[in-house]
This record gives sequence, structure tokens and C-alpha cells, in this order.
Amino acid sequence: MLRIYRRFWQVNWAEQWQYRANMIMYLLYWLVSPVVYLAVWSAVASERGSVGGLTANDFITYYLVLLLVDTLTSDITIYLLAFRIQDGTLSGELLRPVHPILTNILMNNLAFKALTFAVLVPIWIGLCLAFRPDFSGVTAGTLLLAVPAIALGFAIAFLLGATITCIAFWTTRVYALNEFYSGLILLFSGQFVPLELMPGPIQQVVLYLPFQLMKYGPVQLILGRLTPEEIARNTALSLFWLAVAALLFRWVWRNGTRRFSAVGA
Amino acid sequence: MQRNGSLGADAIIVAGLSKTYQVPEREGGLGAALRSIVRRQYRAVQAVKQIDFTIASGEVVGFLGPNGAGKTTTLKMLAGLLHPSGGSASVLGFTPWERRPDYLRRMTLVMGQRNRLSWDIPAADSFLLNQAIYRIPDDEYRATLAELDELLELAPIIRKPVRNLSLGERMKCELAAALLHRPRVLFLDEPTIGLDITAQARIRGFLQEYNRRTGATILLTSHYMADVTALCERIIMIHHGVLKYDGGLAELSRRIAPFKLIGVALRDGASVDLLRYGTPVAGENGDGKRLVQVPANEVAAITARMLSELPVQDLTIEDPPIEDVIERDFHEE
Repeated sequence: MLRIYRRFWQVNWAEQWQYRANMIMYLLYWLVSPVVYLAVWSAVASERGSVGGLTANDFITYYLVLLLVDTLTSDITIYLLAFRIQDGTLSGELLRPVHPILTNILMNNLAFKALTFAVLVPIWIGLCLAFRPDFSGVTAGTLLLAVPAIALGFAIAFLLGATITCIAFWTTRVYALNEFYSGLILLFSGQFVPLELMPGPIQQVVLYLPFQLMKYGPVQLILGRLTPEEIARNTALSLFWLAVAALLFRWVWRNGTRRFSAVGA
Repeated sequence: MQRNGSLGADAIIVAGLSKTYQVPEREGGLGAALRSIVRRQYRAVQAVKQIDFTIASGEVVGFLGPNGAGKTTTLKMLAGLLHPSGGSASVLGFTPWERRPDYLRRMTLVMGQRNRLSWDIPAADSFLLNQAIYRIPDDEYRATLAELDELLELAPIIRKPVRNLSLGERMKCELAAALLHRPRVLFLDEPTIGLDITAQARIRGFLQEYNRRTGATILLTSHYMADVTALCERIIMIHHGVLKYDGGLAELSRRIAPFKLIGVALRDGASVDLLRYGTPVAGENGDGKRLVQVPANEVAAITARMLSELPVQDLTIEDPPIEDVIERDFHEE
């Protein structure tokens, strides 16, 4: 099995490399909004001293770490697979004796991540030089704890993304659904604003949803802003949502492939 | 055409196999478009209706029928891509649409030219990926690849990115990728479509040789009569999803195509009434010859008469296109 993953990695890495120019354009586009949030919130906070208890440095460190975490946990399955379900080219992969999503698509995601991350790092260092963050809360311990947290965050995002993608077996309008889902992530993962700025009752709900486990949770963990109890709660929640996502995915995949009509190819 | 001695047990057993598609449908125009948002109209299309057949291990069978007859749908069900609406099928003892890895490792389906190769990388890399996916041991992989290279002359092309290959080259690589794991059962949907005559003949020869060497069972569809006559002794024919014929190729030819087409080009654009020689066929073939349909057993005599009586510049004798023959047969029913 390891050999299968290695080969899928090689193929997908080679493919990503073919599209590196594309990828850089995408990355620049994708960088715009977090950098704008960073600049705006830190400017507001430094003018007023703090916003909702967060200082300018809190915002700067939050968004800078978010940039890295977001790259590591985000999922692009819908862009890799939905059109192949619709035009029937998924057929070729269904003929193979391995699960297409859990091998090929997973490795494609990871190859994309690796390349994006490699390009992001120098840009990120540049941003650090420009905004001069104070990372004093970050320790070796929080970085170490972040590794499983980020892995779980990605696993949840990947399986939920794959679940949404598989809705394409039922409808050709799956991209609209995905827009809605992306909206939920933007709002509730902490991408738009750090979740502590959300109104109290909403915050209480959002902290139990899967979205914050993809971004806000790991970022806070790295910055040393979570108590041991919160870390334990997030880990338990992650395992819970991972199980839910896995069950959902299994269900849509099984029923979706039964409906698959392999049109065109 | 069984060449490897004895036929084994049944490799493919199909009983009452059916497939009905639900196709969304609407009239043209804005009103209909709006209505279809609220309530979609579906029409049930029965692509395959209760077909039965059995294919012995090692047999090569031609699967024929006009466009839309249900050939591809049947192949897709047998390859496990589609769930049937009814009936059963067993291939090598497996139910195809359960898509068990043990089944998928033993069969292959070749459709068109865009199945198994990644577009952006050389075919050699896709082959290595297949080696891992199908768990082919290194020495076996090398031996099979060498054999495929010998039959298909792959060496000059497998290092180029697939996107830069010609259609024929890509088809060769597709076939190689589909056969690296030495499948016991091959489903081939138009394996020579879009290829020139030389490439067609090469692929044909290759399939023949593969069947001889490995004793694999092959079920293939083709629009080219030459594919079928070269490879298959047995024909299964379907039309509108119903099984119409299952038997020998020779008998089918006698039954439905007891005639040939003679194409003639005359010198200096001479015009002559071809009715004297047979039934003129509307239109010309590709190279400007006029076509006459004649009974198969009179071809020699009629050709001799034409050559002595007419200012013939060029003359060809062709089999009628298989699709035409089948279509004609079904219309006459």
C-alpha cells in the first residue's frame, strides 16, 4: 500500500509541477484576502489600542499563522473530482482496484499543498519582516501539539470536501452547494475574524462545529492561547467530527457510485 | 478464434441483464426551462433489455450492433462501472458491480483514448503507477513490459508526455497500460477507432497474439468489420437493447451480408449506367469511386465484365460497412 501511495505522490507531484505557473497565480490571488484582513485589523487595533481585547500584535500573529495553517488544512477535492464525475472520466479510476479518492485525490491534495507551502514560505518570511510579529507565545510544545491538530483538521476538511464533491453524483449544480459550504468555512473557521470577536452565543455554537478545527483551533494552539482543557476538548471534537465525516463520505460514495452513469466515457 | 487449445469453463455468464436510465428531459424555451427547475421531467430509457449469453474462458467474441444498441452500456456493467436495473452477471465468478479489488485486478476495460494515462506525464510513469496499483512484482512487470514493447513498439514513445503523442501512439500506450496486469478478461470498446489502417492492423495482430499467449477472454465492439473478421469467430449482436444474434461469424455474414461493394472510377469522367452490373449505391466512397452492390458469389464474374466492358481507371472490392449491414438487416425485419 505504501508503494501505491508513493507512486501516486510521484505522479501528482510531477503533474503539479507542470502547472506551477498556474499555482503561483492562484496563490497570489488566495493571499490577497488574509493579508488585507491582517492589515486592516492590525491598523484598527493599533489605533484604538485593542479590538475586543485583541492587540495589533494579536491580529498580526493570528493572521500570519493562519496563512500557514490554512494552506496545510484546506482541501481542493471539489476542483479535482466534481467535473470528472459529471463528464464520466471518473470511469478510468473506478476500474482500478484502489479507492480513487483515498489514494489519487488525497495525494493530489498533498502534492498541491507541498508545492503551495514551498512557494508560500519565502512570501511569509517577507510578511514577517514587514509586520514584525511578536511570537513569544509560540513554544516547541505548542508546535509539536499542532502537528496532530493540523493533520486532524485536514482529514476532516478532506472528508467533508469529498462528501460535498460526491453530491455531484446526484446533481450537476454541486458547485453552488460548494459555494455555500465555502461560505460556512470562511465565517466559522476563523478565517474572516478570530472567533472570539463573534457574539457570545454564536461563538459557543461555532466552537463545537467542525470548521474551527480546520483553522482557528490549530492557530490558537500554536500561538499558545489554548488551555490544556481546551486542547483536550478540541482533540475529542476532532475525533468525533472525523468519524462523522468518514461515515458521511462512506455513505455518499457508496450510493453515488451506484448511481454513476458513466456518461460520455 | 480460439488458438490456445481447449476452452475453459465459462468466464462470463449474463442472465436477464437490464439497464434503464432516467434521462432528464425538457422542451426548448424559457417557460420550459423555468418549469424544469420546479419539476424535472424524466424519461425512462431502456438501454439494455434482459439479455443472456455465456462466454467461455479464452473465447474472443465480437459484440455488435448499431449506435445506441446498448453495447457500451453492457460492457460498462460487466466492467463494474454501472449497476444494472435488473438481472445478473458473473465474470470469473465475481459480480462485477461489487467492484471487488480481486475482480478489478483480473479484468480490464478499454474505452476511447483517455482512461488510464495521466495527460501531463510520460506513459512510463503511468505504467509504474499501475505496477504499484495492481501489485505487479518487479520481474513480472519487466517481462510484461518487454513483451508489450515487442508487440506494440512502445520504446520510442513512452518517455514523452502523453499530451504530445499522436492518436495512434496514445492508443498503443492506453492498451499497454490496460494490459500490464495481464488481465484474464478484456472488454474492448472500439479499440481501433480513429486509427489509420496500419495502426488498426497492428492493434488487431497484437490482440490476437495476446489472446494466444495468455488465453484471456475478450469481448470487443468495433465499427470495423476487419477487426471482427480478424479476431472473432463468434458474434453477439444486439439492437435496441435486445439480443438479436449469437453465433458464428461466417453464418452471420452469409445471413445478413450476402453481397459486396464494387467501387469503380472510370477514365476521362466517362459516364455509364452501372445498373447493368448491380444495384448502384447512392453517393461515392472517399476517393471518388461510384459504388455498386453485387451478390457475393458473383463478384468475380461481374468484376471481369466491368474490366472488359468499361474504361476502368481503378476498381476496388469492399465489404459493406458492418454498421450498414446490421442497420439494413434490422430494417428489413
